[in-house]
Amino acid sequence: MAVFFQSLISGILIGGVYALIGIGLTIIFGVMRVINFAHGDLLMVGMYLTYFLFRLLHIDPFVSIIVTIPLMFLYGAFLQKFFINRVLDALPQNQILLTIGLGLVMSNTVMLAFTSDYRILTTAYSSSSLRLLGLSISVPLLISFTITLVITAVLYWFLYRTDTGQAIRATAQDRSAAQLMGINVKRMSIIAFGLGAALAGTAGALISPTYYIYPQVGSVFTLKAFVITVLGGMGSIVGATLGGVLIGVVESVGGVYVGSGWKDVVVFIVFLLVLLFKPSGLLGTSKD
Amino acid sequence: MRSFMHNMRGASVFPILLTVAGATALFLLPNFVESTYALHIMILIFISVIMGTGWNILGGYTGQYSVGHAAYFGIGAYTTLILMQYHQVAPWYGVWAGVVVAVAIALVVGSICFRLRGPYFVLASIAVAEIFRVTALNLRLTNGAEGILITDIPPFKIGNAVVTDFMSKVPFYYIGLVILIFAIIVTWMVQNSKLGYYFQAIREDQDAAHSLGINLTTYKNAALAISVVFTSMAGSLYGLYVGFIDPSTVLALDLSVHIVMICIIGGIGTIWGPAIGAVILVPFSEALRSNMIAQALIDSGIISENSRIGAFLKDQLSHAHVLIYGILLVIVILYMPDGILGFARKLLAKRRKEAA
Amino acid sequence: MAILEIKHVSKFFGGLAANSNVSFEMAQGMIMGLIGPNGAGKTTLFNCITGYYPPSQGDVIFDGHRMNGLHPDAVCKLGMARTWQKVRPLAKMSVVDNVMVGALCRTNSLKVAREMAIERIKIVGLENRAKVLAGSLPIGERKKLEVARVLATQPKLLLLDEVMGGLNPTESEEIIQLILDIKEIGITQMVIEHDMKAIMRISDRIVVLSSGEKLAEGNPQEIVSNKAVVDAYLGGD
Repeated sequence: MAVFFQSLISGILIGGVYALIGIGLTIIFGVMRVINFAHGDLLMVGMYLTYFLFRLLHIDPFVSIIVTIPLMFLYGAFLQKFFINRVLDALPQNQILLTIGLGLVMSNTVMLAFTSDYRILTTAYSSSSLRLLGLSISVPLLISFTITLVITAVLYWFLYRTDTGQAIRATAQDRSAAQLMGINVKRMSIIAFGLGAALAGTAGALISPTYYIYPQVGSVFTLKAFVITVLGGMGSIVGATLGGVLIGVVESVGGVYVGSGWKDVVVFIVFLLVLLFKPSGLLGTSKD
Repeated sequence: MRSFMHNMRGASVFPILLTVAGATALFLLPNFVESTYALHIMILIFISVIMGTGWNILGGYTGQYSVGHAAYFGIGAYTTLILMQYHQVAPWYGVWAGVVVAVAIALVVGSICFRLRGPYFVLASIAVAEIFRVTALNLRLTNGAEGILITDIPPFKIGNAVVTDFMSKVPFYYIGLVILIFAIIVTWMVQNSKLGYYFQAIREDQDAAHSLGINLTTYKNAALAISVVFTSMAGSLYGLYVGFIDPSTVLALDLSVHIVMICIIGGIGTIWGPAIGAVILVPFSEALRSNMIAQALIDSGIISENSRIGAFLKDQLSHAHVLIYGILLVIVILYMPDGILGFARKLLAKRRKEAA
Repeated sequence: MAILEIKHVSKFFGGLAANSNVSFEMAQGMIMGLIGPNGAGKTTLFNCITGYYPPSQGDVIFDGHRMNGLHPDAVCKLGMARTWQKVRPLAKMSVVDNVMVGALCRTNSLKVAREMAIERIKIVGLENRAKVLAGSLPIGERKKLEVARVLATQPKLLLLDEVMGGLNPTESEEIIQLILDIKEIGITQMVIEHDMKAIMRISDRIVVLSSGEKLAEGNPQEIVSNKAVVDAYLGGD
């Protein structure tokens, strides 16, 4: 039983980061109906940013998100303005391929610049843990989870309480209606992709003390992001939040009980089942 | 008027003549080319054309963008190699066994996933391929992450006469060429049949196609089955030729993307698009990979080996082939969404208009 | 004998009834006009009849077959074809190829299909545009292409969903003539149309839908003098 609670708590903690990844992807999908295959690569860029800020300027990874967030936002906005915006009316397939291409460019540019060596960002607290009620809680995971909570709260406030946030949600709900109401849809798309990139980058920063950092790390997270958003219902922010935590727990608990080798098979089978039978997500209301 | 008539008739005969001449040249090529490296590149091109042509039937003609075709490439490769290595089944049967297994699995997958459309279908195709990759990583049958290394291929005999012992690259060259021609002919036949019309109708508008009497699931599955025959054959050929397969090469998401890219860059929904894509991508990436381009730049004196750029290129350019893929993909999607073939056709049409 | 019988058809979306308890019959060779204010459930009824989705309650009987739950492709093969309110050209295929897709419903031979297609293209008057890509046609010609394409499936019953929508008066007049020509060939038609003058001219009978229910049925004279219909239309605006 202790093992169960131990893996449950680790799952929830890592699930917070997954939620950030999922929310980013779901905002981008919601506003533009584009599935961003470069999402994991954005996370990877965030990891490298954090790594070099730490290495060269000795900025603590959890502090460095103050720099990472705006930088990644600008980077995402740039990608949207000069690339994605140009294919918004193209076939969904071509949009997907464009983001795949951008992802390849990102991961391979990083590889050329910094080689494909695995890097580790070791802080003083990287392997320290707290003991609580007989459970051991990793300090970096706990800090990252706390930051995740704050960011998620700010994000919800932004999306539900500010004019821009509401405009983004309106665009996500009905693009043409939003346009008729005078919302600048292109601008909202730029903000949405910027937000998505910032969230992915932040997730990258938050996991950099506990993960290997290498150019191809993105593809793992791109797939995870898909699973999370589909479980939560594509475009649903609340769904992505819960989906992230759920996947964190499933991975962590499943790794213990199913064996780490097969757990991904289980995750993808669940993913397929949801796509097929509940395309609106686990929480979504079915339309039939 | 006369020249117009001439053009019209030439238009139908000329491509056939060109194709026959090209095929003949390719058949004779090994007699004149000694370099095994050149043959190696040709075989890799053939494999890419075969899998691209296979994907093109489903993705290009029918509009069902599978980004999980590595699954069928891998299933073909694994079936053939497992049968040969552990059960002494000769590969010329094993290839067909691979086709049967791959098509059977594809039809199950298709019956489940074809109800999804657009981006949802893409995601499902990826999930299916990932399930196969992780399964192959974990099964003893597939030897997990270690993969399968084949020791030697039994000689191919007709009666008692040994046709080939697979000791050189030449037999692989001819097998590849024959499958390739087969794939091109099948594509041509599909394009000029009811199937081709129905596939394209589905690509253009599923609801309209449905209301015109087209059973969507049946025809999508037909496209998938034809597609998977060639993808699986390409996988078997690859496994036999390279002699080693593991989940991270023959079942990888990268491979699925590579298959799509060949078609997109060449031009989807056309007979020759995948061939053009492969002819451009494969030698280019091989040249980069083997550092030929960096060496050529240095040899030609454009860049000094001792300069910083020269040293960097020499060390790093061989890793850049995927980067170039990515850049090509972005350029093609933004500037020539119909691929190089479509782009060339547009240019030609424009020229003709200006001339007229 | 009636070629089409609609018996107590209802269609619910969630709790909302898009059609409730609609019944009427169509005789062989007639033109039935289907009218009603926006949101009256006309297109929903089309979709129920043509198998786009099954009715929640009631039966659709076509040519002796109970149609409930049949998919659109099977419906088409039985001889019932529909056009779409928002035209759906197969954009990257030529006009003749579009119509051939329809014809291939009845033959496996491309040669036969091409002959059938060219014949239908002549009926709608697009013979000069046969080799043009469908996606590059203007709206008027797209509507005609749509009709040629369904004609090629050799239907017994044709359901036309606002084929005059968005057309100028000349084009509308051409479509009216086309519908009358199709009647001459002996094909039964059900027509949804907003243009009242046109519908009164071409229809043998008219069914009026309002809020998903059948409000009235009769010949054009009866409909124009029906008080409930007049109220629904004036009230609807």
